[in-house]
Amino acid sequence: MRGTAFTETMLGTIRLDAKTRERRIRLDLHAEADGILRPHRTTPARLTGRVRIAGFADDPRAEGELEVSPLARRRIRYQLAFTADGRRLTLDGWKSVTARRPVESMTVLPFTLYEGDARVGEGVLRFPLATGLAPFLLSFRFPRRESSAEHFPPRWNGEPGRTEVWYTTLTDPASGTGVWLHHEVTAPADGSEPFAHGWVAAFPREGAVRHARFGPVPWTRPADGFAGDNVTVVPGELTGNAGDFHWKLTEHPQGEPLFTFPRWSWRRPLLPAAQMLPAARATYEGEFSYGEQALTLRGAPGASARIYGHGNAHRWTWLHAELGGGDVLEIVAAVSTRPGLRRLPPLVFLRLRRRGRTWPRRAERTALGWLGMGRFRAVFGLPKWTVTGRTAFRRIRVEVDQPAERTLTLEYRDPDGARAVCRNSESADARIVLERWWGRWRPEATWLLDGTAHAEAGER
Amino acid sequence: MTADGFVAALLADAGDEDWPSRVPHRLDTVLAALPRPARAGVHTAVAALDTYAVLRTGRRLAALDPDERESVLGSLAARPRLVPLLDILKVPVMLAAGTERMPSAPVSARAPEDPPLDCTPAQEWPTRSTADVVVVGSGAGGAVAARTFALAGLSVVLLEEGEHHSTASFGRRAPLDRFTELYRDGGATVAVGNPPLLLPVGRAVGGTTVVNSGTCYRTPDHVLARWSKDYGFGIAEALGPRLDEIERTLRVATQPLDVLGNNGRLALAGADRLGWRAGPLRRNAPGCKGSCQCVVGCPTGAKQSVQLSVLPDACAVGARIVTGARVRRILLDHDVPGAPRAAGVQARRPDGSELEILAPLVVTAAGALQTPPLLRRSGLGGHPRLGRNLSVHPATSVAGRFAEPVTAWQGVLQSVGVEELHTRGVLIEATASPPGMGSFVLPGLGRELRRELEGTDHLATLGAMIADRPSGRVQGRERTLVRYDLDPGDGHRLMAAVRAMGRLLFAAGAEEVLTGVPSAPRARSLAELDALLTSVNARNLHLSAFHPTGTAAAGADAQRAPTDPEGRLRGVRGVLVADGSVLPSCPEVNPQLSIMAAALAIAEACLDREGGPAAR
Repeated sequence: MRGTAFTETMLGTIRLDAKTRERRIRLDLHAEADGILRPHRTTPARLTGRVRIAGFADDPRAEGELEVSPLARRRIRYQLAFTADGRRLTLDGWKSVTARRPVESMTVLPFTLYEGDARVGEGVLRFPLATGLAPFLLSFRFPRRESSAEHFPPRWNGEPGRTEVWYTTLTDPASGTGVWLHHEVTAPADGSEPFAHGWVAAFPREGAVRHARFGPVPWTRPADGFAGDNVTVVPGELTGNAGDFHWKLTEHPQGEPLFTFPRWSWRRPLLPAAQMLPAARATYEGEFSYGEQALTLRGAPGASARIYGHGNAHRWTWLHAELGGGDVLEIVAAVSTRPGLRRLPPLVFLRLRRRGRTWPRRAERTALGWLGMGRFRAVFGLPKWTVTGRTAFRRIRVEVDQPAERTLTLEYRDPDGARAVCRNSESADARIVLERWWGRWRPEATWLLDGTAHAEAGER
Repeated sequence: MTADGFVAALLADAGDEDWPSRVPHRLDTVLAALPRPARAGVHTAVAALDTYAVLRTGRRLAALDPDERESVLGSLAARPRLVPLLDILKVPVMLAAGTERMPSAPVSARAPEDPPLDCTPAQEWPTRSTADVVVVGSGAGGAVAARTFALAGLSVVLLEEGEHHSTASFGRRAPLDRFTELYRDGGATVAVGNPPLLLPVGRAVGGTTVVNSGTCYRTPDHVLARWSKDYGFGIAEALGPRLDEIERTLRVATQPLDVLGNNGRLALAGADRLGWRAGPLRRNAPGCKGSCQCVVGCPTGAKQSVQLSVLPDACAVGARIVTGARVRRILLDHDVPGAPRAAGVQARRPDGSELEILAPLVVTAAGALQTPPLLRRSGLGGHPRLGRNLSVHPATSVAGRFAEPVTAWQGVLQSVGVEELHTRGVLIEATASPPGMGSFVLPGLGRELRRELEGTDHLATLGAMIADRPSGRVQGRERTLVRYDLDPGDGHRLMAAVRAMGRLLFAAGAEEVLTGVPSAPRARSLAELDALLTSVNARNLHLSAFHPTGTAAAGADAQRAPTDPEGRLRGVRGVLVADGSVLPSCPEVNPQLSIMAAALAIAEACLDREGGPAAR
């Protein structure tokens, strides 16, 4: 399911009833619809934007509704609420589309201004075709509209030799403690019964990393997430206990799903494995305790992720970095276990979601480049590993530091019985430098994460 | 002045009096208000007459002396086929001459202040607005529907093509000036057919109720029974209490005798001598002063037309009236499950710009002649019976000359009803009118006509209207074209009505009865009248028609009725029809109360269904 988003600027005049002088008015609007905009249907959309009326109002947080129905109802209606001079006003108007005057009727928006039910003004806005058409058309986006919940039900369909993971990492903003919850189903390649297992770990600022394992227990095939050995994951909720760990968390997704690997590889499991985030970011509330420590989480940032495939890579690194302001960086770099592919350099899947846009646009770009040219590169190592890469006009450098004292090493087995080792830190450091080329490389953004990066390096 | 020669000839202007010379100028103002085809027709006819005069005498009519003009007219009148045409040309001239000959003195009494209305000219109404209900037309049906919805707490906007005229403004202007303003097409709406009918309809805030005679008949019981049983118009069964309520609103009462006027008294006397059922009419004009100007707006504010009675109530609870706004079309939302849904209306201002009002409920009350074209313009004209089933009350009038002056224009305009023949579908009403404005056409041309004109104060006029078979239809999208072919049975009844009126006038003491038929203009006795009428049929009469109804008839049969029994237009949601067009057949009486009660019932049924404002 895709939505529609676009921006539109309109200019015009307004006459407030109390005053006879006409004032200039400008609307800079961003419209978002949950569905694809189809001209022969009616598409409702949410409006946000800025309303400026000369000498009267400048509200950058105007909100409202848009009804786009140029053919079915021959009407494009704008209803926008904004504040002017401390008064809450509503602009209500519509373009009345007619085949007799197609251009005029699609660009002229007569409107009335209300304060409550009382009419306080009237005016006309015009879409400036000469200067506004190109930005308007280029602004059209059709983003997917997915709910994070639909990615939580188990993918495993009974085939032997598969593994499926629900893992959640978060950082308690109060104490700085990193938390890692790993839930896994393993269907051994030898056809024996699948089992559920996992672990929970805490990465406090001070003191040693603690962890506890749960399972293995037989997989009971729940419908909506993970369940086993008193540990459950369902959309929006994580509960369980293992050893002296107890947790009961609620998860609030904060963004669209983020596919670290190409989306198709999640839908059709053609790659050895694929990872994705049902929501690029999430916040967590609830209780998390271990030993003597009890954390009360309030708006703790983090994310849940999903993995499905044949097993772990030959070598891999992973980073989830909360960059603030809704931005997030997700990296998986891996060397395949397959003979032949094992000799290739690591494939890097890097996704930077910034201001609602994901860079690079396609996940394949970072892994493959153009037939290998310009692919992103990873240099494995511990405690430091790096990823670098560039597209036409932007480049990134990511340096991750997983200090040994804040890193937890765990062993487990893949479906084929091979031993895998992961070295994980939910309180890693990271330095991310983003640059943009404009005559020369100019810094665009730099992020320093001090103990809040979630990272892992592993091998088998 | 386009027709000074023709006017001088017609009125036998010998220059001895002042007023005939003013008539051509007045005629020009009358013609200016007519629709273009009618105006062109008059100009062509006048030009043809002038050409005839040039061919016959070498000079135009204006250049001839009175005797020569009389000779030209005489030669024309000798051709029987031309006489009806000349009679049609006479009508606007009589209208102008009536005003110039007897200029009505301005109403001396101070006009009472009208109850306040919330009227906004379309130019000042915003281009985009919203409401809960939009009512198209502010006449009898629209006003009541608007009031009903407004009282239920809904925001109502009422769109009216005409302007608002206050009682005080009626007192200030001459009747003829008001006439051209208050009627659609300057009062020259014509139903095309054989014979053609003049079908005047009002256009103002208040609709035709501003210019009707104020006669208030309740819908007869047998009509209600027929609507209910034969047509399945269920609302008719419960119309009684609504008629009561409307009568209370309009303050309907029997017209007191004090200001009845000689016209009415003579009708009463004639009926009394014949032993016929008759009496002063029930009217919505308490305190009527007998100005005899009902048809051009009551100058004393006595007549409780809806802009004085119903609309003030509606405005008091928030309804707003937009004047000068002609509704172009009803806006429809097609992309909804099932039938399309009304979303509002688009209207045109006098300057050609357009305004739109969004509302989930649209009430069309534009009158039986305007509602079908509006629905067609809106893409809702799909029902095969829409615009058909047009009933009018074909009407004709007869005048009686009395020895004593009657001065019919002093008294109540429509004063007495004679119901003796009502069971046969004939309703006789004593109807006087301001000079020149009646439907009765004086006989003769030139000096004969002038003599008749000088003697109009001795004339009493009766009118009769026929409960017709619905045999007309309303065509057109942009402009209304009315076709009406008189049913032969209705023609016979019209002739019977003419005879009955003659009999009544002779019984009242008339010396002479004028039939208005050019070929058989006058009879001095009943026997002579009977003999005269043997050579006349209904097509020779001067016919007018009033009270158009039935063009979007309500009924249970979806095949035959465009509107369902609760007034909802079929094939769309959110459109109510609440005017004369919703009545299933001829109401057989002046339909003001019937239309208002039906509109009230339709609006109440809608509120019951939707649950009022809470459900929105």
